[in-house]
Amino acid sequence: MRNLKISIKNLEKSFKEKKILKNLSLDIFESESLSIIGESGSGKSILTRCIVGLIDFEMGEIKFENSENLMKFNFSEKMKYISNFGILFQNSALLDSLTIQENLEFAKKKENYTKTLDEVGLPKNILNKFPAELSVGMQKRVGLARAIIKEPKVLILDEPTTGLDPIIARQINKLIKELVKKKKITTITVTHDMESVYEFGDYVAFLKEGKIEWYGDAKKINKSKKISLKNFINGIDEER
Amino acid sequence: MNFLKKLFSLVFNFFYSIGEIVNFFLDSIKFALIGKFYPEIFLKQCIKIGFNSLPVVGLTSIFTGMVLALQSYTGFSRFSAESAIPNVVVLSITRELAPVLAGLMVAGRSGAAIAAEIGTMKVTEQIDALKTLSTNPYNYLIIPRILAGIITLPILVFVGDIIGVMGGYLICVNLLNFNPTVYLQNTYNFVQFLDVFSGLVKASVFGFLITFMGCYHGFNASGGAQGVGQSTTYSVVSSSILILLMNYIITSFFFRL
Ligand SMILES: Nc1ncnc2c1ncn2[C@@H]1O[C@H](COP(=O)(O)OP(=O)(O)OP(=O)(O)O)[C@@H](O)[C@H]1O
Ligand SMILES: [Mg+2]
Repeated sequence: MRNLKISIKNLEKSFKEKKILKNLSLDIFESESLSIIGESGSGKSILTRCIVGLIDFEMGEIKFENSENLMKFNFSEKMKYISNFGILFQNSALLDSLTIQENLEFAKKKENYTKTLDEVGLPKNILNKFPAELSVGMQKRVGLARAIIKEPKVLILDEPTTGLDPIIARQINKLIKELVKKKKITTITVTHDMESVYEFGDYVAFLKEGKIEWYGDAKKINKSKKISLKNFINGIDEER
Repeated sequence: MNFLKKLFSLVFNFFYSIGEIVNFFLDSIKFALIGKFYPEIFLKQCIKIGFNSLPVVGLTSIFTGMVLALQSYTGFSRFSAESAIPNVVVLSITRELAPVLAGLMVAGRSGAAIAAEIGTMKVTEQIDALKTLSTNPYNYLIIPRILAGIITLPILVFVGDIIGVMGGYLICVNLLNFNPTVYLQNTYNFVQFLDVFSGLVKASVFGFLITFMGCYHGFNASGGAQGVGQSTTYSVVSSSILILLMNYIITSFFFRL
């Protein structure tokens, strides 16, 4: 039995004249892991920002656990709404005037972060460093740690393994799988990494030019007859 | 037709941004009243905006005082009114030059820094990240800076007043052979509470304008490094113009008193 967590109906989002999301509908279910895949520029990141309430959209509705349409919220209601989510941003978005420890404290005050850092494969001597002193991959893992320690209702990961070496990437995939499968956290993962999809995706939404081109069980993705999806998975450029 | 269209969009944009600024202002006040206050950030900003601007403001004031003494000597010696120099120096410094010059210097220094810092946070999604960590960016970023500006600028200007008068004193005593005691006595007896007070009121308003414009333009930055650069330019230009405008308005207000 699947419980609806977030329902998105007829979402429209554009920047100036350019339509990014076109009449997009998508349901996200409790304790499931949804992978969003699609070409660069297809609107994956924008979609997650809309779901979280960080950017406004022109039309459609987003409802979280039977709440009102997100569009109608004022600033304070939105702030409250946003706190349901833990997000790993595509570029990590760590607060660069604060140390790693202070960044983590923002999410949740804890006596010690050793275990959290261990989970994402980071040594604890980085706690007193500033984000700019870490490599991009390390920043990403701090961003992941920051997103998960607040134990959000919904976890949103924007390309969690991009820019990581294969070993760490696999470790991160395992960690996310554990969060999804053991802790039953509702997770939305934007990814280009098919390995992530196979590892912990329950369902997959394939986004193309602002629309959901394909949605279905992650296990059945390879059996899909949809040419554009096949091409995407196998890395074939349609144009040629 | 094309021209009319352009003109219309220009006028529209102008009023649109005024609306945005008013909105931003009202939101800041609202969250200042109902939201969380971060004292440690406020203190940090007081140091950044106030204390760290002391050298710049001090330097500006001392040279202004010195130039003022020399220039008024040139004028006043023509009708042997040299004894009025201390009065002119203290009046110009406290009522006008210390607040305006300090305001412009701090706008270039701290206003630009605020716009750049907040603008960078905006375009790298750090402000969005703050929101997801249940932190209201108005309370965390905007309000401490604006408060720090409102409070530290008058202190800075008060220090600038003293240094500026001392600049005039240095020139008059060392170069123009004034009696030191008489100079100070003259200054002290002549200056009125309102002279200093009106300057400090100006300073406070300028402090608000500088930090507010820095925050507003930073908060609305978009589009990467170029956008951040643009927001710092806008912040410095708009706050400088507003400082000159408000300076006139406040001066004419105190003129009637
Ligand atoms: N602030 C903005 N202003 C104008 N256009 C934007 C803005 N942000 C994104 N876009 C456009 O929206 C489209 C979708 O962007 P988005 O970041 O969602 O892509 P994406 O699917 O996440 O791609 P990637 O896999 O490269 O991260 C892009 O074409 C981009 O040019
Ligand atoms: Mg993206």
